[in-house]
Amino acid sequence: MEARIESAICPGCACLCDDIDITVVDDRIYQAANICLWGASKFLAHKRFHPKKERRRLQQPRIKQGCLWQTVPYEAALKRTAEILTRASRPVIYGLTNSGSWAQEAALDLARSTRARLEPADLAFKAPYYRSLMKHGLFWASLDVIRDEADTVVFWGANPLHSCPRHVVRYSVFARGKFTERGLEERRLAAVDVYRTELAEFVKLFIRLEPGQEPALVQGLLAALTGGKPPAIRGLRRLAALLEEASYGVIFFGRGVSYGPAQELLDGLGELTARLNRGSPFIFFPLTADFNSTGLYHLLLRELGSPLAPDFGHDLAGTGQAEPVAWSEVDAVVVVGADLFWFLSQEEIDRLKKRQVPVVALSPFANRTTGHAEVVIPVALAGVETPEIAYRMDGLPLFLPKIVSTHLWSDSRVLRELTALL
Amino acid sequence: MPAVEEIQEFLPNLDCGRCGLTCAEFAGFLLTRELAPEDCPVLHEPDYAGFIEALHELLGQPTVQAAAGMQIDLEKCIGCGICVAMCEFHLGNCADARLGKGPRPQDKVIFHIVNGGAVVVHQERCTRLLQAAEKCSKCAEYCPTKAIVLF
Ligand code: SF4
Ligand code: SF4
Ligand code: SF4
Ligand code: SF4
Repeated sequence: MEARIESAICPGCACLCDDIDITVVDDRIYQAANICLWGASKFLAHKRFHPKKERRRLQQPRIKQGCLWQTVPYEAALKRTAEILTRASRPVIYGLTNSGSWAQEAALDLARSTRARLEPADLAFKAPYYRSLMKHGLFWASLDVIRDEADTVVFWGANPLHSCPRHVVRYSVFARGKFTERGLEERRLAAVDVYRTELAEFVKLFIRLEPGQEPALVQGLLAALTGGKPPAIRGLRRLAALLEEASYGVIFFGRGVSYGPAQELLDGLGELTARLNRGSPFIFFPLTADFNSTGLYHLLLRELGSPLAPDFGHDLAGTGQAEPVAWSEVDAVVVVGADLFWFLSQEEIDRLKKRQVPVVALSPFANRTTGHAEVVIPVALAGVETPEIAYRMDGLPLFLPKIVSTHLWSDSRVLRELTALL
Repeated sequence: MPAVEEIQEFLPNLDCGRCGLTCAEFAGFLLTRELAPEDCPVLHEPDYAGFIEALHELLGQPTVQAAAGMQIDLEKCIGCGICVAMCEFHLGNCADARLGKGPRPQDKVIFHIVNGGAVVVHQERCTRLLQAAEKCSKCAEYCPTKAIVLF
């Protein structure tokens, strides 16, 4: 049996490309046209950027008995997880940026009922952005408007070719829009980063900084724009001129901004954007990678009024936490759709292990976290094997239908049944 | 590009697994050129004489095409589609590619992205082949991973 699905949506990253043509044979996807390699890692379980290698799917729930693994039915894995959460006094639900909106809602309910902290996987990147936004204002546009209008595009600490490979083609650089009919030729491009990225292949002004130099560059740009004397940083004057001449500009910043003093840098960039908006429209846009990170922050804003990490056990004021959780206090972790052990430092992992903090991992694929977890619960791929809702990086909500079937539970079902058990 | 059924007509359809796959999966890898018809051991049996040649014809003989001027290294390619959007031929023939979208199945293209990598389907449309070779090199020029080699 062969079926073709045209213009399907790819849950590979927050671009949520809507032009994927899929061929399904006997309820298995074996061809997807127009997806990039990241998308292939979702649809075809290829390793990201290692096209010939398979990512290993998890097939059955398993729990640790002593030091041995035991495969169990879902119900038993849920029961064990419920026991872990009931015993815990400082549980954390971590991840969720690569989960659909229904799973995120279920996780928020679970966090509420277990008085847990909910830690978005990209908090270190988004929290400073939201705080900067509260100070300097929101400068926002949809990707389609950016494609149609932007004649000046700056990538700051961002490598879209790795985080969302088709972004430059579909929206920010190469796409020809209503007022940018010549596409690339009509856009002035710049990139700022601490190392050379593939962007340098087509971005003419590529400013390579020393780590830690970024806030100085921002202050220098502000000085240059207000007639002050900027410090001597290579490329600064050209970048200032490029920003000043824009008739519609965008600054896309990526995860790179969170590797240094993120708050200082994002406050500076927010101020710079506000300043530029006195001349012409300028957008300040986080280049989100995880496919539904935006949905998670929308949910938090809608339900709790704050985009920061909710902490139902500790934060009685309910304003949310911007600082990453202190892992040394945590005594149980439920990881949903993220690889916590890849993200933590070896020292932090060792300490968690030494304190025998139980880890429960919900994941479609085997990863470092599932290798260490006490309970591993395989889940269906959201937007491929189970329907879900996801928000594109600019906030556009999209429905992702099921494409093929699976015996695995969806993460939203696992989380809902878990909450019901407690 | 040939349809899956067309390819499967020239496969044994035994799902014997000797290639490590099912016949349908094998057909998919033929389309992406990750496997060649010769990789199915069953097709070498006398019962299937002529099938391998028929498949090559159906698939458009990528090696012969590549010799005509363009090679894409799938080890490097990340499927970003910049080449598809920047191709001189697509600019005039594919409205979606102009916009940065992926071409529709019925669009006239030289290459498009399949399973995360760029696949040439109609090399003969390339401007370089129709006119002097130095006329165009846009696809290779903007490829961020330098996966396209023109010669
Ligand atoms: S850019 Fe993102 S959404 Fe688009 S095909 Fe690639 S992974 Fe999928
Ligand atoms: S070896 Fe040939 S016949 Fe056997 S499954 Fe593979 S393609 Fe089909
Ligand atoms: S531009 Fe290069 S990396 Fe991108 S799809 Fe084309 S060949 Fe692949
Ligand atoms: S050489 Fe020019 S016409 Fe030929 S494939 Fe590349 S961009 Fe297209």
